[in-house]
Amino acid sequence: MVSRPNIHVKSKVAVVGAGITLFRRRMLETPRELAWEAAKQALDSAGLTIRDIDCVVIGSAPDAFDGVHMKGEYLADGSGGLFKPTVRVYVGGGTGVFVPIAAWWHVASGLCRTVLAVAEEKMSPARPHPQGVFAYIWDPVLERPLGPNLLWIFALEMRRYMHKCNASKETIALVSVKNKRNALDHPAAQAAANITVEDVLNSEVLVWPVNRLDVSPVSDGAAALVLASENEARRITDSPVWIEGVGWTLDNTHWYNRELGYPRYVQYAARMAYKMAAIERPWRDIDFAEPYDPFDYKELHHIEGLMLARPCEAPKLLEEGWFDRSGELPTSPSGGLLGVGNPIAAAGLMKAAELFWQLRYEAGARQVKKPVHRGVAQAWGDLMQAGTVVVMGN
Amino acid sequence: MNAQWSKNPWTVYRFPGRMEVEKYVYTPGLHGLEFAKALREGRIVGTKCGDTVYVPPTTFCPDMTRGEIAEVLGPWYVESYTVVHESLEGKPLEKPIIIAVIAPEDAEGALVHYVDADPEEIYIGMPVEPVFRPPEERKGNILDILHFKPSAQA
Repeated sequence: MVSRPNIHVKSKVAVVGAGITLFRRRMLETPRELAWEAAKQALDSAGLTIRDIDCVVIGSAPDAFDGVHMKGEYLADGSGGLFKPTVRVYVGGGTGVFVPIAAWWHVASGLCRTVLAVAEEKMSPARPHPQGVFAYIWDPVLERPLGPNLLWIFALEMRRYMHKCNASKETIALVSVKNKRNALDHPAAQAAANITVEDVLNSEVLVWPVNRLDVSPVSDGAAALVLASENEARRITDSPVWIEGVGWTLDNTHWYNRELGYPRYVQYAARMAYKMAAIERPWRDIDFAEPYDPFDYKELHHIEGLMLARPCEAPKLLEEGWFDRSGELPTSPSGGLLGVGNPIAAAGLMKAAELFWQLRYEAGARQVKKPVHRGVAQAWGDLMQAGTVVVMGN
Repeated sequence: MNAQWSKNPWTVYRFPGRMEVEKYVYTPGLHGLEFAKALREGRIVGTKCGDTVYVPPTTFCPDMTRGEIAEVLGPWYVESYTVVHESLEGKPLEKPIIIAVIAPEDAEGALVHYVDADPEEIYIGMPVEPVFRPPEERKGNILDILHFKPSAQA
C-alpha cells in the first residue's frame, strides 16, 4: 500500500459486511426495527454476532423526520449499541457517508477492532409532509418569513448550473432515466422504473426547473456496514474491502458567498480523501462512483466536485453514455437515491455499501461491466453544505 | 409572519415561528402490532428470546437475533410509583393520579401505567392486575388497559 502523506493510522480499516432493508414509504417497522434488520444482515454477511463488535456508530438525519427526539439513544438497542461505546453522528444529508468515516476513525485510531455502523431514517411519519421539517434549516429572521421550501435551494442551484454550463433540462433528465433504470436490478429499490426523458419533462412541475421525476422519493429504510482493523478483517474474510481515504468539509450555509454552480464543499472533501488514498488523477484512478443524487442535476454537479469530470463537462459525458453501467466511469450503478430511494442517512450509507458489493463482485445484475479496483461514494447535507467522501478499494 | 412591534423601545423584537409539521403518524412495528392486537383481546404479549420473554415486545432480541411473540401472564408487581397532585398546567387535581412502573413475574421488562389505588396504601412490591376496557371500547393501544388495580397477594 502506498504511504499516506497526511495521516498516521494505527491500523488499516476494512469493510467486511453490509446489509440493507427495503426502501419504502410507510414501512410498518419502527425505526429501531429497521436499524436492527440492516445491522443483523450486515453482521450475518460478515459471519459475526454482536458479541464480536467492539463499538457502534449510528447515523441519522434530523430527529424531526422519525419524530423522536434523541434518535441516537432511541436507535441504540436496535443498532446493537447497548453497553458498548456508541455514538450517533449527524451532518444533515451528508450523514450517510459520514457514518463510515466516523466508523473508520474508531478503527484507524486503534480504539476499536470492530465497528458496527448503522444508518436509519424514517421519513413517512410527519404530516402533512416531511418537507415541513426542512422549513427549520433556514435563517429564522432573514429567510423563513419568505416561506421557503427545500426545493427552492435545488431550483436555484439547478437553474444556476444550467446557466453556467449551458446544460439543458433534457440532458439533466438523462440522470433520472439512468438511475431509475439501474435501480431495476436493486432488490431494495423503491422508485425503479424504465422511463424516458419525455416522462421526466412531462411530470408535474414542482418548482421550476424542478419536475416531479427530477426528485428522489420520501423513504423509510436502514443500511449497515461492519468495519474491522486489518488483523481482524483478514481473519473474518478473504476479500476485505479497504477504506483508502475519507474526507469531509463544511461550506457556508449562507447564500451570499457560495458558488451555486460548483460544489466546492465536495471538492475539498474529495481532495482530503484522495490525498489519503494517494490518488492524483481521480478521473483515471477511480473506476466507478456513487455521487449523491437526491436530484438529477446534483449527480452531475457532484461528479464535477469529485473531479471525475472537468467543471461543466459532466452533461456532455452523460450524453455519450460515459456514466452508464457499461460506460467508462459508471456512476450510481446502485440506482442511487433517484432509483433506490432516499431515507436520508440510510441512502448515503447505501451508496457506501454499493462500493463494498461492487468491489467484492457481489452486486449481481448491478455489477458494472469493467473490472473494478477503486470506487468513491459521496453525500451532501442540504442547506448545511456538508460534503462527505469515502474511497474504497479491493 | 411579521415582527411584533412594540411601543416600548426597550422591548426586544420578536419573530414568531411555527412548526409546519402538524403531526406525526407512527407505526407500531411488527411485534408492536401483535402487542396492539393482543390488547384488543385483553391480553399482554412480549417477545421470547431464548428462555426469556421481554415486554413490551420488539422484533429483535438483546443479542440482535429475531424473537417470537409470547404470552405474558403476570402476576404483576409495582416496581416503583409516584403520586401526581397537579395537572401539567399546575392546577390541583381533584383526585391524585398514581403512575407506576409495573413488572411481570414471568417476563423481563415493565409497563408504565396508572394504578387505581389509595395513595396511602400503595407500596413497592404490591401485586396488581390490569383492568381492560370493555371489548367494544378497545382501540388496540396502551389505553385499552384502563389502569392496574391491586390484586390479592399471589
